[in-house]
Amino acid sequence: MKRKATRHALLYVGVALTCAILVFPIYWLVVTALSEPSQLRQLPPSFWPDKPRWGVFGQIMAERPILLWLGNSALAAIGAVTISMVVSVLAGYSLSRFRVRGGQSLGLFILTAKMLPATLLVIPLFGIFRNLELIGSLWSIILAHATLIIPFTTWMLKGYFDTIPRELEQAAMVDGCSPLGALVRVILPVSAPGLAATALYGFVLSWSDYAYARTFLTNAQGNWTANLGITTMKGEYISNWSDISAASILVALPILAIYLFLERYLVGGLTAGAEK
Amino acid sequence: MAGIRIDSVTKSYGALTVLKAFSLDIADGEFVVLVGPSGCGKSTMLKILAGLEEASSGTIAIGERDVTDLAPGDRDIAMVFQNYALYPHLTVARNMGFGLKMRGTDAGEIDRRVNDAAKILGIDHLLERRPRALSGGQRQRVALGRAIVREPQAFLMDEPLSNLDAKLRVHTRAEISALHKRLRVTTIYVTHDQTEAMTMADRIVIMKDGVIQQIASPDAMFREPANLFVAGFIGSPGMNFLKAKAEAAGGGATAKLFGHDVRLPIANGGALAGREIVVGLRPEHIAAGPGQVSFTVSPRLIESLGSEQYVYVDLPEEHRREASSGGEDESRRTSLIARLINPEPRPPEATLTLSFDPARLHVFDAASGEAIR
Repeated sequence: MKRKATRHALLYVGVALTCAILVFPIYWLVVTALSEPSQLRQLPPSFWPDKPRWGVFGQIMAERPILLWLGNSALAAIGAVTISMVVSVLAGYSLSRFRVRGGQSLGLFILTAKMLPATLLVIPLFGIFRNLELIGSLWSIILAHATLIIPFTTWMLKGYFDTIPRELEQAAMVDGCSPLGALVRVILPVSAPGLAATALYGFVLSWSDYAYARTFLTNAQGNWTANLGITTMKGEYISNWSDISAASILVALPILAIYLFLERYLVGGLTAGAEK
Repeated sequence: MAGIRIDSVTKSYGALTVLKAFSLDIADGEFVVLVGPSGCGKSTMLKILAGLEEASSGTIAIGERDVTDLAPGDRDIAMVFQNYALYPHLTVARNMGFGLKMRGTDAGEIDRRVNDAAKILGIDHLLERRPRALSGGQRQRVALGRAIVREPQAFLMDEPLSNLDAKLRVHTRAEISALHKRLRVTTIYVTHDQTEAMTMADRIVIMKDGVIQQIASPDAMFREPANLFVAGFIGSPGMNFLKAKAEAAGGGATAKLFGHDVRLPIANGGALAGREIVVGLRPEHIAAGPGQVSFTVSPRLIESLGSEQYVYVDLPEEHRREASSGGEDESRRTSLIARLINPEPRPPEATLTLSFDPARLHVFDAASGEAIR
């Protein structure tokens, strides 16, 4: 009994330490945002500002087009996720259901694209977008993000579709659906948790991107995404880290809200898709 | 409603042929059961009938229409699946009406037909529930209901009772039979359970390795099995098989069984003289006590079910067949089972006199396995 209590205590201490390590950077971001810039370098550091600058968020929103940047990020993420979902639903379903020559190798080949680092694709994508005159357009990062998202979401959805009995779409076909009709009317509604999980994965990936936005959008200020916009707040000689931290919080809030709201759904979807 | 004509349907996956020249005429309103062990091709045939799999060759006609190349939805058939395949995101009512909706049926008409079918099946109080809120038996009824509301030319049923417990299975089996008598819709039913086949079918099609072994009514199949496989598959417990040699005797043939020269019930016995044969004897055709052919045994095991007893006896060496390559149960090769109705209680170690009527024997060619009559 005593041994069990000790084991529990050790477990809780371990979990608490891990949480502290994970939460500390977020806490420090908040402290930095609310502190006067002059207080940031003082020793010993203050773990909570004497007079928190609650007005900093309104102030930077007035000084910078943060809402425009957030809007662009949202447009890019929604566009990339929409394209990715259409492609990966059809590809994942085909890989799951149709026996084609070399289908397995094709599936693995798609997955290898995910193994390549994103930066490796920057130069070829730049060449393509320049030819298509998309440099500076939000379309460039929408398409670039889709190339990153599709391989993984295709595999996620293939895994999810594998867990759905084939008889379900066979019943739909006997009831009068075409194969595509069975997918749309029966398989997709049944796959809602899996679709939500994959869509969120894609959204987060697109929202967090900096490298592509930095490469393709630098000369088009009206199309800057939030991550790109924040980096412009860093000066060559002086950087206001309090303002940068406050802007970072504003950018992180939407994604944090989505995660908190859909956390159970997301985890459920991921595990359900990974069952087989 | 319509009859179905299946003509020389073959299905191959590369070099593997799972269905070999399957031909069958099914009359309008008939209840046909495809039965056989796992992997015999019965479910494949059903899926080809439904249009869910493509035949490698051959044709299928439903009524006067050649449906070989039609999509499943254009064949005007309804199917009940082994795992029911109910749409989990739709209510029972919408599950049942889905096929009609796909065909553009008016909403009022869908409601009327769904309600009628639900009343027939006693599920009208479940119409607003989702499948996950139903028991196994209720799901099974909804799957049947989904088929009924369509009023199709034929029902295809793929082992629809196999997920139910034993008691519910017997109950639902009777309900499906009653439903068929009421609706008289042509039905093709797939099962591996010979009891289901015997109790439900107008005709049984028994299959092995993609080949039809026999097509007959349940009684005819039980009385006159076409070969050793059918004889062993139909009946529970299966038929006993005894290796023997036929001898000519007065225009007929005899075989030495348990030390007796037993006259074989075949028409042209003289031609059989000297041939290796397998004699079949159903467990229920063996009686306790002396009879026309009697023999004394020491039972290896006696199982009592109250109203009947299964007596297991080791076969004499001379009656044991060689082990086949077909994966036959070793105990069936080496033992004999007697099914004694209303038996006397007896201690298992006591010797026992059993007997049979030679007219009940079945005779098969040992080499080909075909029945000799």
